[in-house]
Amino acid sequence: MNGAHDMGGMHGFGPVVREEDEPLWHADWERTVYGMQRAIRARGIINIDESRHGIERMPPAEYLAASYYERWLSSLERNLVDKGIIGEDELVTRTAELAEHPQTPLPQRDDPELRRLMTDQPSGQELYQREGPAPRFAAGDRVVTRNVHPTGHTRLPRYARGKRGTVHAVHGCYILPDAHAHGRGEQPQPMYTVSFEGAELWGPSWEPRERVYIDLWESYLEPNTEESGA
Amino acid sequence: MSVQPDRQIADMEGGSALPRKNGELVFDAAWEARVFGMTISMHERQLFAWNEFRDELIDEIGEADRTGSDSTYYERWLEAFEHLLLSKGLISQEELAARLEDFESGRRDDAF
Amino acid sequence: MSGNHGDGHHSHPESAVALRARALESLLIEKGLTSSEVVDQVISAYEQDVGPHNGAKVVARAWTDPAFKVRLLADGSAAVAELGFGGALIAVVENTPSVHNLVVCTLCSCYPSALLGLPPTWYKSFAYRSRAVIEPRAVLREFGLELPDSVEVRVWDSSSELRYLVLPERPAGTEGLSEEELAALVTRDAMIGVAKVQATAATAGQAAG
Repeated sequence: MNGAHDMGGMHGFGPVVREEDEPLWHADWERTVYGMQRAIRARGIINIDESRHGIERMPPAEYLAASYYERWLSSLERNLVDKGIIGEDELVTRTAELAEHPQTPLPQRDDPELRRLMTDQPSGQELYQREGPAPRFAAGDRVVTRNVHPTGHTRLPRYARGKRGTVHAVHGCYILPDAHAHGRGEQPQPMYTVSFEGAELWGPSWEPRERVYIDLWESYLEPNTEESGA
Repeated sequence: MSVQPDRQIADMEGGSALPRKNGELVFDAAWEARVFGMTISMHERQLFAWNEFRDELIDEIGEADRTGSDSTYYERWLEAFEHLLLSKGLISQEELAARLEDFESGRRDDAF
Repeated sequence: MSGNHGDGHHSHPESAVALRARALESLLIEKGLTSSEVVDQVISAYEQDVGPHNGAKVVARAWTDPAFKVRLLADGSAAVAELGFGGALIAVVENTPSVHNLVVCTLCSCYPSALLGLPPTWYKSFAYRSRAVIEPRAVLREFGLELPDSVEVRVWDSSSELRYLVLPERPAGTEGLSEEELAALVTRDAMIGVAKVQATAATAGQAAG
């Protein structure tokens, strides 16, 4: 979707600010959100693509005002409610109760099986790579990205739509985020790293000799049949 | 954050290596992290040299393996740590036994 | 991910060893040998200490073992698995005198956590995410790295589960160093691409941050 999250090339965010000795967690609740996220993903209740899309669906003004872990929390809430695991009313009521009585002890539960799931993490290969169709493109092929604007989840950034590039590397098949985020199964497709000249993306580039490399699924690409093009 | 991980601790190899998964430290229970933290905090204060603890740990692991014990890494760490504390006179056997009694009986219930 | 340490409320039976650990901690605190705050800090520091050192090991190995470097650039996932970091989807991109690489995730904050730990806040910032792809040289300048126009800048937008690690150039003057000494010079920032590796140990003081 063309959300606020898709920020490659946006202006106005100012300099990159660095904290010198930043703590890992700025507050206790952040650690809890991180833990909940890990536990829920370990259980397969929400997948990574749904997780990301949950963040993307935040209203833009909220997205831009939220901190990193606030975004994760928002995504968790949105996905858990959408999947019917918690009720929206429940969330509202429970929040109000805790606001009234902040000293209420939290439920405790020991779950060795869950702990095992969380520590025995499957490999990236197991999680994301799949058998799938043979690749349509080869390294060196000239391609052009489709000018599509899906309202759902995609990993084709806006700045790279309808742009001419060259296939830099051909990877195996990966789960397609556009399908997986919406309960439409894995639909694995060949995935490619495609390079784009800076000038192709940004117009007469104000920075010389720049190339941007993006990982793109086959359905994002068409062959570039023009004579010219990057 | 004033504590910088000591490479001689973080990068121990072989049987005494800290349990990790994908490079991340693994603690199967909160107490394991506490015991880990206690040991290192006292080493940071130079109350003992690292190899003194590490030797105890290696001995403990070796002993446990020899007797076919199914004790876990941090159970062995705790044994080794207590051993070190006692042998260096930092705590006494009586103090330790008394304090354990306090907790087992419920007279004390401090949590950390 | 550690257990929920720090929770003071025990409403379920705890193991004998957990009780023993609590007893010990209370004793050590009372004798002034440690404090619970310092114990917390130690746990945190070591929990955070995942990664730049993992990535640094990979880099140092590539610098000292040419055959490994070839394998690393051909198939990052397989090569880092040789060093014990299996299960990660990694692609390694090499800096040379004519090419400088920079890694970003414009859409969220994907990062090679298996090798570098959790990402720094600035990597996740809107400023970095928006600007790295459109004005990388200006961003690098803010990090104190000035590149001549003759150097090509390649920006890798981590849009898939494949994660990118920069293989920085080995600095001059490090010929006599062991693999371990070399690894100590490699910073997280150099492996993201916002810095170059320095030859002196003094500047490696930034290594953990």
